[in-house]
Amino acid sequence: MGLIRVPQSQFNRRQFLQVSGLSSLSFLLGGCGGPLFEDIVGKVSEPLNQRVETLLFQPRKLVPEFPLEAIEPEALIVNSFRGNPVIDQRAFRLIIDGEVNHPLSLSMADIQQLPLTSMVIRHVCVEGWAAIVRWGGVRLQELVALAQPKPEVKYVYFQSADGYYGSWDLPSALHPQTLMAYQKNGEPLPIENGAPLRLASPVKLGYKQSKWVTRITLMSQLGHVKGYWEDQGYEWFAGL
Amino acid sequence: MTAKTSAKTIPPWLPRQTLLAKSFHWINLISLFLMLTSGLQIYNANPVFGGRAGWQIPPVFALGGWLAGGRHWHFAAMWLFSLNLLWYGLYVLISRRWRHRFVGTNDLKALQRSRNPQRRIYAWHRIAYTIIVPILLLAILTGIGMYKPAQFPWIVDMFGSWQALRIVHFSSVPIVVLFAIAHSWLGLKAGGSRLLESMFW
Repeated sequence: MGLIRVPQSQFNRRQFLQVSGLSSLSFLLGGCGGPLFEDIVGKVSEPLNQRVETLLFQPRKLVPEFPLEAIEPEALIVNSFRGNPVIDQRAFRLIIDGEVNHPLSLSMADIQQLPLTSMVIRHVCVEGWAAIVRWGGVRLQELVALAQPKPEVKYVYFQSADGYYGSWDLPSALHPQTLMAYQKNGEPLPIENGAPLRLASPVKLGYKQSKWVTRITLMSQLGHVKGYWEDQGYEWFAGL
Repeated sequence: MTAKTSAKTIPPWLPRQTLLAKSFHWINLISLFLMLTSGLQIYNANPVFGGRAGWQIPPVFALGGWLAGGRHWHFAAMWLFSLNLLWYGLYVLISRRWRHRFVGTNDLKALQRSRNPQRRIYAWHRIAYTIIVPILLLAILTGIGMYKPAQFPWIVDMFGSWQALRIVHFSSVPIVVLFAIAHSWLGLKAGGSRLLESMFW
């Protein structure tokens, strides 16, 4: 019996090929090849996913809300894309235009005269975290109704004071729990959360809920420019 | 040496799988690999344990390049994975394989009484691949709960909280990895490399 025992190699040629095949696959997919394939995968599967998401979405069905005790004030993380814009709330105007019969330019006082809707919902971020928040504001469907959209309108564009932009399908925008919010947890909306006016909704992921919204444009066509994150590869529908 | 002896002891009928079983096995393996690696990419955006400051998965295990890419892969592979599992369920049901494919009382008895190590390995193996089926179904259920919490709020409620739902969904990652190791090892012990290869080629 020798002092040094050399273990018999149990790694044969086939296993070597299997392991090297798998590891080179993971290198190709996870490392350098990722951004190249993800685009194709997204383009192939997104239309299918979107069709299913649209089919699942019930434009009138309310998402169950939470009791006030469920609010998680610390859980809402601030995600900004360019820092906080400087907005004079007294000079602020929300423009509603596009394919509408009655374009609007509303001050915050005008908006606050409309019925206040308050809801405690789960805000879900694309990153995976979620926070239960109480939002207060005016239903987007009321603002849209005031502008009297033409029957062919299908999409809603949102422009923000910080340069952020996004677009929604009309049924999600008209959902009764989609708000233009100016309150958070019963207080005036903080600047970092989008004051004076932001989107809040339980039916879309967080990146669809634009902050510092200054212009809402109703359109019959979805342009090439769909949204800040969407144009970089995020899913457009992003329904919950 | 072990491979040779076990190859002799396997009855000639053992290492033969139907083409359907092989294709299920392949698609399951590939789609699970895509689900796991793209899931780790999504995990890194906000780690389940510890949030932003949490422990990150090394990028080499994460598929998709960035969050949007990881999500594209995850939701594309989701179709492959869940439809494959669905048709496997139908296959097992229609072909009546469910009656003898999964763990039964005879396996549990064998574990208690049998002195035949081969029989015990066989029983353990059947336990392993029986348990993985409900775990994969649970991963799909929790996944739907996170993907569509507004449409299926009862799934989130079932698990108590959003964080609990994330933990249960994520726990399928270590479980599937452990299963893959145990499954290959037990398969090798039960039927040698011939049995192992019969599931692929």
